[in-house]
Amino acid sequence: MLEIKPIFNAMRRSKAGAIMLLIQIAITTAIVSNASFIIYDRVQYLQQETGYPEDEIFHFAVQTFGKDVDLSQQFELTETTLRNIPGVINAVAMQEIPLSGGGSASSFGINPTSDQGRQGREVRSAYTYGDEHALETMGVDLIEGRNFNQNEVIIAQNRDVLPTVAIVSKTFLEEIFPEGDGLGQTIYLGDMPLKIIGVVGKMMGPWLKDSRPDNLIVIPFVNAGVYQKVLVRADPEQRAQVMGQIEDILLKEYDQRVVVNLNGMDESKRRYNASDILMLRMLVVLITVLVLVTALGIFGLTVFNINKRTRQIGTRRALGARKSAIVRYFMVENGIICIAGLVIGSAAAVYMGTALLEHYSLPALDHSYIGMTAIFVLVVSLLSVLVPANRAANISPSVATRSI
Amino acid sequence: MLKMNNINKVYQTEKVQTHALRDFNLEVNEGEFIAVTGPSGSGKTTFLNIAGMLEPYTGGQYLLDDVDVGTLSDNKRADLRNQKIGFIFQGFNLIPDLNLYENVEVPLRYRGIKSAERRRRIEDCLEKVGLASRAKHLPQQLSGGQQQRVAIARALAGEPRFLLADEPTGNLDSLMARQVMELLEQINREGATIIMVTHDSELARRAPRNIQVVDGQLADFTLYQNRSADSVVELASGA
Ligand SMILES: Nc1ncnc2c1ncn2[C@@H]1O[C@H](COP(=O)(O)OP(=O)(O)OP(=O)(O)O)[C@@H](O)[C@H]1O
Ligand SMILES: [Mg+2]
Repeated sequence: MLEIKPIFNAMRRSKAGAIMLLIQIAITTAIVSNASFIIYDRVQYLQQETGYPEDEIFHFAVQTFGKDVDLSQQFELTETTLRNIPGVINAVAMQEIPLSGGGSASSFGINPTSDQGRQGREVRSAYTYGDEHALETMGVDLIEGRNFNQNEVIIAQNRDVLPTVAIVSKTFLEEIFPEGDGLGQTIYLGDMPLKIIGVVGKMMGPWLKDSRPDNLIVIPFVNAGVYQKVLVRADPEQRAQVMGQIEDILLKEYDQRVVVNLNGMDESKRRYNASDILMLRMLVVLITVLVLVTALGIFGLTVFNINKRTRQIGTRRALGARKSAIVRYFMVENGIICIAGLVIGSAAAVYMGTALLEHYSLPALDHSYIGMTAIFVLVVSLLSVLVPANRAANISPSVATRSI
Repeated sequence: MLKMNNINKVYQTEKVQTHALRDFNLEVNEGEFIAVTGPSGSGKTTFLNIAGMLEPYTGGQYLLDDVDVGTLSDNKRADLRNQKIGFIFQGFNLIPDLNLYENVEVPLRYRGIKSAERRRRIEDCLEKVGLASRAKHLPQQLSGGQQQRVAIARALAGEPRFLLADEPTGNLDSLMARQVMELLEQINREGATIIMVTHDSELARRAPRNIQVVDGQLADFTLYQNRSADSVVELASGA
C-alpha cells in the first residue's frame, strides 16, 4: 500500500525542499537527455566505418626544391622505393589524402559542362588522382568492375593527355545513377569525360563533415607537383617503424627535397575531429557532474528530512509502521517529486532539443533518449534515497516517548 | 493480559551502565486502569516502552496475551503495536504536516483498513474527542489540550484493547488535564485496559489501581482504590 495521498498532502504543506529538488531533477533530465543524445550522435560519427584500415595507413608530403628532375617520373621511382621497404604493403603518390580535412571536390555531371551550363543530373563528390596502386594502398574493396590498367594511368607534367576512366565510391554511383546501371557509364568533371570502370564499396572523402562525405572518385592521373602528398600502407605492427625510416630513405634516393607532415591516417582524422572529441569529453563531464549533483541533492534532502522528522518516524513506528513502511514512505515521497520533475524535464528536453536543432543545426533529438534518461534519473534518485531511508527505518520507536 | 517476570533493562553507554529496570514484576488484567507514579528517572517511561514493545529488554520474560514478546520479529512487534496498543505521548506527537483527519488515519493505514471503514472510524473518534468539526485543521492550529485529544482519537481509532499513556497531561493545564482524564476514564469504562504514567498525584488517585516505580522496581505496595467510595485500601504486594 503506497500511501500516495497523505504523502502528497504532507509534501504540499512543506514544499520548499521538494520544489528545489523537482527543479533540479527537471534540469538534469533536460540537459542529460540532450547531451547524451549529442554524445551518441558524435560517437557514431567518430566511430563510423570510413572504408580505410586507418591504423595501417600513413601519409606525408614531399617538398621538392631540386629543379633537375621530372617530378612525375621521380615519384614513380619514389613509389617503388617505398614499396620495397620491409613492412610496406603499397604506396602511392596521391593528390589528396582521405580523412585529412583537405582535398578537392567538384560537381560531376552526366553531361559535359557546355557554354549554357550543365544539363541533367549532377552530384558533388571529392576526387583524387592516383595510379593503379591507389586502391590497394587505401585498403578499400572493389565490389564491381576492375582496377586501372597501367596504360590507363596518365603520367605527365602537363594536361595534354587526360585520363578517360575513373573508379568511384558506391554512394556516389548510386546517387548519380539511381537506376543502378552506373558501371560503364560516363561522367564529366567539367568537360572531361570519365568512364566508370570500378566501384568501391566504401571510401570516404577528405571531409567527414562534408554534405557528401561518402562520395569519392579516383582518377588515374599522376601529375606530381613540387609539393606532393604520398599515401603509404604498411603492416599495422610495423607502421611506426616504417614511418621513422621514411625521411632517410627518401633523401637517400634524391636529396633535393624535404619530407613534411608525416602522420598516421588515424592521427590526422583525430586532428580533423579534435573539436568534436573535446566537445564529447566536456559533455561526458557535464553529464557526470549533473547526475552526481542531483544524486547528492536527493541524498542530502532525504537526510535533512529524516533528521527533521526523527520524532515523527519514531511515532509512526510506535503506531505500527514496519521498517519497510518507513523506507517506502521516503521512496514514494521522492518518487512523487521525481516523476513530477521528470515530466517537466521531459517537456524541457523536447523544447531544448528543438532550440538546439534551430540554432546549432544539431540533429533532431531522438525522443527515446528522453525516456532512457528519465528512467536513469529515476533509478539514480531512488538509489540515492535508499541509503538514508534505510537509516530512517532503524530509528527506534522509543524516540516517540524519549524526545520531548 | 500483561505479565512481566523479572524484567531487566540495562542501558549501556560509553562510561556508565544504567539499570533502568531491575527484576521488575507486574501482572495487569483486562480492563484495568493503572496509574504509574514514581520519582523522575525511576524507570516509568522505560517500563511503558517495554510494555508497548517500543524498546527491547535485556532480561526476564514479558508475556502479552500469553505471547512471549521476546521471541517476536520486529515486523510482528510492529503489527502487534498497531493492532493491540494505542499510545498517548506527553508531547502529543501529532505529525505536523498532516491534518487531524490524516493524523488519526495513520495507524489505520498501517493496518490496511479500507478507505470507507477508515472514514467511519476517524469520524467516530474525532466525534468522541469533540473535534469532528476541525478535521481539516493542522495540529499547529490547535491548543495543547485539543492536540492531546486528537492524539487520543488516533490511539482509539485502531480500537486497541490496551492504551499506554506517558504523562498524557504533562504539558496541559489542570482544566485540560481533567478533560483528558475524563476521556481516558470513559475509554476505560468502554473496556480498554489503560496504563498511565503521571506526576499528578490528584489524577493518579482517580485511577482504580496505582503502582509506584522506585529505582527500577515496583515499590513494595500497590494501591487499589474504589472509585465509588472514598475509602482507600492498601494491599501488601509480594510481602
Ligand atoms: N536511552 C537511554 N540511554 C541511557 N540511559 C537511559 C536511556 N533512557 C533512559 N535512561 C536512563 O534510565 C533511567 C530511567 O529512565 P526513565 O525515562 O524510564 O525514567 P522516568 O521514570 O520516565 O523519568 P521521568 O519521570 O523524568 O520521565 C534514567 O536513569 C535514565 O537516565
Ligand atoms: Mg518518563
